[in-house]
Amino acid sequence: MERILAGLNGPNEMGRHWGFWLGVLAVIAAGAAAPDYLSRYELLNVSNFLTSVFLALGLCVMWGFCGILSLGQGAFLGLGGYAYGIAGINFIESHGHTWAALGIGLAVPVAVAAVLGFIMFYARLRGVYVAILMLVVTLLLETFLNQTAGQGWFIGDAHLGGNNGLGRFSGVIREPPALDFGLGGDIEFNGRTRAFYFLTFGLVVVVYLGLRWLVNSKAGRVMIAIREDAERTEALGYDIRLIQLGVFCLGAFLAGLSGILYVSWESFITPTVFGVQNNILPVIWVAVAGRKSLTATVIGTLVLLWLSQKLAVQGNYALVVQGAILILVMMLLPEGAITGAVARVQALRRRFARRVSA
Amino acid sequence: METISFIVSLLYQYADTIGVLALSAIGLIIIFGMMGVINMAHGEMMMIGAYITSFAYFAGVPSGIAVVFGAVGAGLAGIVLERIIIRRFYGQLLSSLVATWGLSLLLSQGALLIFGPQIKSVPTPFGSFALAELSYSYYRLFMLGIALITIAGLWALFRYTRFGVHARATMQNPRMARALGVDTERIYALTFGLGAGLAGLAGGLLALTANIGPFYGMSYTPQAFITVVVGGGADVITGLLASVLSLGAAKTIFMNQFNILLGHVAMLVLAFVIIRLMPAGISEWIERRRVRVRGR
Repeated sequence: MERILAGLNGPNEMGRHWGFWLGVLAVIAAGAAAPDYLSRYELLNVSNFLTSVFLALGLCVMWGFCGILSLGQGAFLGLGGYAYGIAGINFIESHGHTWAALGIGLAVPVAVAAVLGFIMFYARLRGVYVAILMLVVTLLLETFLNQTAGQGWFIGDAHLGGNNGLGRFSGVIREPPALDFGLGGDIEFNGRTRAFYFLTFGLVVVVYLGLRWLVNSKAGRVMIAIREDAERTEALGYDIRLIQLGVFCLGAFLAGLSGILYVSWESFITPTVFGVQNNILPVIWVAVAGRKSLTATVIGTLVLLWLSQKLAVQGNYALVVQGAILILVMMLLPEGAITGAVARVQALRRRFARRVSA
Repeated sequence: METISFIVSLLYQYADTIGVLALSAIGLIIIFGMMGVINMAHGEMMMIGAYITSFAYFAGVPSGIAVVFGAVGAGLAGIVLERIIIRRFYGQLLSSLVATWGLSLLLSQGALLIFGPQIKSVPTPFGSFALAELSYSYYRLFMLGIALITIAGLWALFRYTRFGVHARATMQNPRMARALGVDTERIYALTFGLGAGLAGLAGGLLALTANIGPFYGMSYTPQAFITVVVGGGADVITGLLASVLSLGAAKTIFMNQFNILLGHVAMLVLAFVIIRLMPAGISEWIERRRVRVRGR
């Protein structure tokens, strides 16, 4: 037990104090009880916000911990969502094979990431080039899917549907089904159910703790070494290409998970998930919150999603405001607003303590 | 006759493709090659050029001069943005990437809020000629001409003028340049302004052939970025030419034989192949060969 806790509490993530963990327990308790005090509409929203956290955490690990920035994480979210949706239309409704659809939804983005990552990292491509090529890949996927409205674009029973989205074809709509783990009765995992909320919330907690363990493990230390100085890390005998590839695939896995949950929540997916906006948002969340901290990323993502929903009610200001926030944070607090603020408070506290002891 | 018309149409498409590629990439590659900043707001600089061109045209300015207005306006906008934002991010490639992407979002969404989803587009000048029932626009060939003239002009600018020498000195060793009395801050601002102005020029010229909206520049930026990545930053002009000619060939052939989507895919695939073989771009690869030959 102690060893597990020590593994979660290494030096590579903020929040090691017992007070922080009490806070985490309080948040978990509050989250578990949320369906009792939130309205149906609020719960639906929170469920939606939570589906995006995996995407953000994946980018946080890639960029903040291993120095791999990708401007095309939407590609993996979209691939996961489409693959799950296509498999779901074919397998879930007729055969109840949720696990197969889930597995395909996760395998497709990871496989694509493995191929692209192999080309890029084994060519020792510079970081900016990786970032930009991923953006180009995702925009091409958007273009490709936008022209799949015709008769010929069926995969089994699923029609790709062009810009109308998956499953919509000349009046016939075959929606991608929700996750259904065969629990029987009314337990269905679409956005309107409590079951979906509990599933997503539980996954967020598990993934957060798992990644905390990862970044504090030996592999995590090598990742950070690559971020700080790739050449020196390689000179010490680590195969940085393999580690970069692994982290890239992990990011794709988490983005794919977001995609699957999103499709299950909404029963719908269109090519816009591959578009520019959907790719810039995770970068904004992670950069604004603090890319070098998982905790900051989770908090920042949820706050910004909430904020953009509030702004969307006022008019189309959400993206302008988020663009402005991103520029301001990059200029004033380059390490991110939350991590930057924490670092300043800690510095003040240290100075205060020194003055008291002197 | 059929073969001739096929060859003419292929050549025309090639000229059109490389003209657009060169125009849309030239401002980007100047800023990247000279300053080491990837300007994700490049498409928005094109958009600013296009908007100014359109507004000037409908205010009664002839379209040729309206395009110049667009280029100058985008250049001035570039200088202002460099002074306020970009200058804080020199030497931090990924941060500059993210910050300029935020800028891109801000400018495009701002334009959407202020001017709406579309503004009036400017008619294409010069008319067209027909061959074997296919019609070809003179203007698209004219754009290739402008692209080539611009590239030659830039080469001369960096080779022969005082600004060019100072700029190259600043890029190679800013501290040494400063010690020798070069105002490096001014050089950075002017170089960024030059890149933005060239983006504005491309935006203005292309505005005469397309519908203009807030996201107009974004449709050109992916290919502009591929061109820059393939060209590399070692020698801006050589890289740009080699990259435009090779990528343009791939795109033209696949576009001609299949469709425009496969044209783009072919370009991306070729880009992956080239960077697999020459990770720092074609220009760096050529540079190394040249140095080796000279070394003997």
